[in-house]
Amino acid sequence: MLDRESTFADPEIIKRLQTEFVPVAIDQAYQRRQKDNEGEFYRKIAVQGPRGDGSKGQTTQGLYIAAADGTLLGFTNHRSPDRVKKLIDTALKQFKPSETAPIPVGKTDPQYSSQPPAGGLVVRVHAKILGGYEPTENKWQKIFQSSVSRDNLWITHSEQQSIVDGQIPPAVQKRIARFHLVDNTRGEPPMWKKNEIKNIGFKLDGNKLTGSAVLGTSDGSRGYECQFFGFIETEHGKVTRFDVVAQGDFWGEGRYTTGAPKGRFPLAISFSMADGADTADAIPPQGSRGWVRGYLE
Amino acid sequence: MTYNTSRRLRLLFCLVLTLCLVATSVSADDLTEAEFKRLHQELQISKNDAWRKIPWMISLLNAQQQAAKDQKPIFIWAMDGHPLGCT
Repeated sequence: MLDRESTFADPEIIKRLQTEFVPVAIDQAYQRRQKDNEGEFYRKIAVQGPRGDGSKGQTTQGLYIAAADGTLLGFTNHRSPDRVKKLIDTALKQFKPSETAPIPVGKTDPQYSSQPPAGGLVVRVHAKILGGYEPTENKWQKIFQSSVSRDNLWITHSEQQSIVDGQIPPAVQKRIARFHLVDNTRGEPPMWKKNEIKNIGFKLDGNKLTGSAVLGTSDGSRGYECQFFGFIETEHGKVTRFDVVAQGDFWGEGRYTTGAPKGRFPLAISFSMADGADTADAIPPQGSRGWVRGYLE
Repeated sequence: MTYNTSRRLRLLFCLVLTLCLVATSVSADDLTEAEFKRLHQELQISKNDAWRKIPWMISLLNAQQQAAKDQKPIFIWAMDGHPLGCT
């Protein structure tokens, strides 16, 4: 989210990426592992950079500029707009337009090329910390403190049918609890283990949904206690509205989400149906990475 | 221990137990419809965010195919976690 609010909010960078490049955003934890043409092309580019191809399990995150034939033209892991502008200038000096064959998608790696369940639902999930941070003048901390995160909840066809019939399936409730009642506002969050769901329950009264959830680690260092309120509407055998909010007290942080407010702090999480208009609607759930079956069970 | 002392201790125990249950329970009345509407609206994506003006693709091969067609270089924003998501 730092990049979104700084580097990619710079008017000059926006203009140049719109006109001089084909921009693509990826979770490289997929591409560095994928055993298919997408993965091979990514590793071909990445191995030319300082991070290597990720074959030793290391991250390859950063900003890469490459030609369509896979030649690396530049790399940086520095996010300042000035550094990125310099990267762009340097890369374009080296770039020579040429005929390059498009690479076919081919057979995809099923572990890392997941698609939403056929006939199911994609639900946008946004989280925001509502208070508790210490005041700061640090511009990067301010970005974290006001960030709204984004993930997707996947619901299968049969689960959608249960919802149409007036039931929120236990598998959906547990999925929401384990993978989406998380503080992902500062980075990749730790997900909940099954035994860390102390309780979760929804009540669907007509189209009104209420409920509550209590989650917590065994050592008490991280937890969330929240209530749910929302509306789920259906028409002609399909869910047409899935507007829900979870709101309550969160505490603790994860390895990649340090900097949480001290003690308990208010965290709100919203759910709303995706309509495909946002590019991010097509992103697999964070909790499903390399493990869609486990995410959906 | 006298009867009165024993009774007082039992009442005190019940009071403490009740307070513990109240402290750990999650009241279903706390999140109102008005609060739901406010929060749900507040947490929706803002289509006016500047970074959304960049036409991000999410498939590297689709980007390669487009770059080959347009004879442009590819700009790859590669993160741990998806850049258009939580990171």
